[in-house]
Amino acid sequence: MRILVVEDDSLIGDGLQVGLAQLGFAVDWFRTGRDGLAALSAAPYDAVVLDLGLPGIDGLDILAAWRRAGQQVPVLVLTARDALADRVGGLDAGADDYLTKPFALAEVAARLRALIRRSHGQGDPLLCHGKLVFDPTARRATLDGVALDLTARELALLELLLAGKGRVQPRALLEEKLYGWGEEIGSNAVEVHIHHLRKKLGGDFIRTVRGLGYTLGDET
Amino acid sequence: MKVRSLRLRLSLILLVVAPLVWALATVGAYFQTRHEINLLFDTQQTLFARQLLSANLVTHAVPAPELPKTKRLIRGGEHGGFDDDALSFAVFDTHGQLLFSGGDGKHFPADPAQRGFVVADAKHDEPWRLFYLPAPDGQHTVVVGQKANYRRELVWEVVGVQLAPWLAALPLLLLVLVWAIGRELAPLRAAAHQLAVRRADDASPLEVERLASEVAPLVTALNQLFARTAATLARERRFTADAAHELRSPLAALKVQAEVAQLAERDPVARQRALGNLSAGIDRATRLLEQLLALSRLDPLSGLADAQPVRWQRVADAACIDVAPLAEQRGVVVERAGEAAAALPLSGDETLLTLLLRNLLDNALRYGPPGSQVVLSLTPTEIRVEDEGPGIAPDDLPRVRERFFRPPGQSEPGSGLGLSIVERVADLHGLALTLANRPGGGLMASLTRR
Repeated sequence: MRILVVEDDSLIGDGLQVGLAQLGFAVDWFRTGRDGLAALSAAPYDAVVLDLGLPGIDGLDILAAWRRAGQQVPVLVLTARDALADRVGGLDAGADDYLTKPFALAEVAARLRALIRRSHGQGDPLLCHGKLVFDPTARRATLDGVALDLTARELALLELLLAGKGRVQPRALLEEKLYGWGEEIGSNAVEVHIHHLRKKLGGDFIRTVRGLGYTLGDET
Repeated sequence: MKVRSLRLRLSLILLVVAPLVWALATVGAYFQTRHEINLLFDTQQTLFARQLLSANLVTHAVPAPELPKTKRLIRGGEHGGFDDDALSFAVFDTHGQLLFSGGDGKHFPADPAQRGFVVADAKHDEPWRLFYLPAPDGQHTVVVGQKANYRRELVWEVVGVQLAPWLAALPLLLLVLVWAIGRELAPLRAAAHQLAVRRADDASPLEVERLASEVAPLVTALNQLFARTAATLARERRFTADAAHELRSPLAALKVQAEVAQLAERDPVARQRALGNLSAGIDRATRLLEQLLALSRLDPLSGLADAQPVRWQRVADAACIDVAPLAEQRGVVVERAGEAAAALPLSGDETLLTLLLRNLLDNALRYGPPGSQVVLSLTPTEIRVEDEGPGIAPDDLPRVRERFFRPPGQSEPGSGLGLSIVERVADLHGLALTLANRPGGGLMASLTRR
């Protein structure tokens, strides 16, 4: 899942970037409102973490601009302002959720997962396919009750496939969602991870749709 | 504070002063009236005596009949309520033999040598005022007399008639005074009531009707005080709210970095990095707190309690020592220019001025690139700090003095309070802070006398 973080505070931004990456997200961090505003349409983000107290351009203005432009991506607003009027204002401007500083990283991650789940029209926090159960919070997958040993990147790819269940996802999209800006990507990185997942989950678990991309195989 | 009723005080004053004035007026009136009445009766006595002489009654002297009261002679003839014997007379010959008398005249002392007015005892040893008028031929003397008491009583009566109404009016006057004072003080009572039920943060002016012009300045001053207090209160509230919000960000940074350090338990490099960030975050929060405290101490000051001639050498030395670690860390050199001993003569607080200079130097050091220099100039007319950093965008220049304002795109940790502190200290010393971008790049901060 690829997350856009717009935060001017260097320590908070850094913490979100590093911390959310450790929790299984691909994170892009922009420090200014102007950069953040443009960034959203540059990559297929699954959710946005937006700080309201941005210098230069207000976070709420960015949010409003995105919504006017038809961006549906869920936005989690972070702010130091906790008055009711501020919260209501944030939600009315198109925010999907709201966290007041100081916040727990785990809560940011949990809310982001919930927002993404909801945006995919899915209620159950556990992602299942056949005998496979994936717990996005614990970053753990079990096949027929047996824990699987997957790398962080494999887990992230599995999560993407499970979240996009029933759809064919192009390789390029999966790649964009797996890696943030500036991360080293091998030319066949997605294929390599697909290959490893097939080895661990069974060859039919992921189906290649030639010329289009990947989707999950039939549930058995 | 000893509280005394204005009404009581004014009433007491009137109660003491009015009888005093009344008594003085009475004394004056008494003497005036006595003088007039004496003049009147003396004239009357003189005229009467002359008429007696000119009527040549002596030659036709017959024993005087005892007259009854006037009202017996004429019905309703008595007017004024005086006895007929108010004026009596007697005529003596040269030997003091009574020839002829009227009223109590027969009791008058016969003294042919006496002339003019005398007061002498006559009938029942009462004092009488007697007028002795000898005939031109000296053969007899006419005496016209009047009881002295009669005159005195008349004087008292006239004076009494004049002054009694005033005495009677005194209690009435007091009552009116008490009522009037009460009425005039009613607006004050209304104002006191308004003040008593007023909320502490109410800034609305006191509305008092029918206010006396003597009390109006008090109410005006109170209203001005309310406005000032409300402004201070609003400023404090805003400051507290701002401060609370500003503390959330450093706390959020600490929390996030602490969590990152926990998550990275198997990645020593990431862990070390997070711990380093955590430490930097604590430094930042500490700095913010220090700045907040400095400002909250500066804010309520209305002036300098202990102003001394400023020794700029000491101030500059202290500020430079304070920022030395930062200068070293940033690789920026602080250059001093100008003669400190001759710098801007000023009376002030060196500790506060050190704080001011430290903040200016701190800013300059943070934004100057490594290898650049910061110049601190102490001249007779200004104190100036120049850096070689990026300066401040012209749009942001007017706003950088605002509390907590930080120009966009800052990577340097800062509270956004430094310039507020500088400006506040400058204000207290009657100095003006000028911020400008230098033509060659960098920011110039200058302090001059206002």
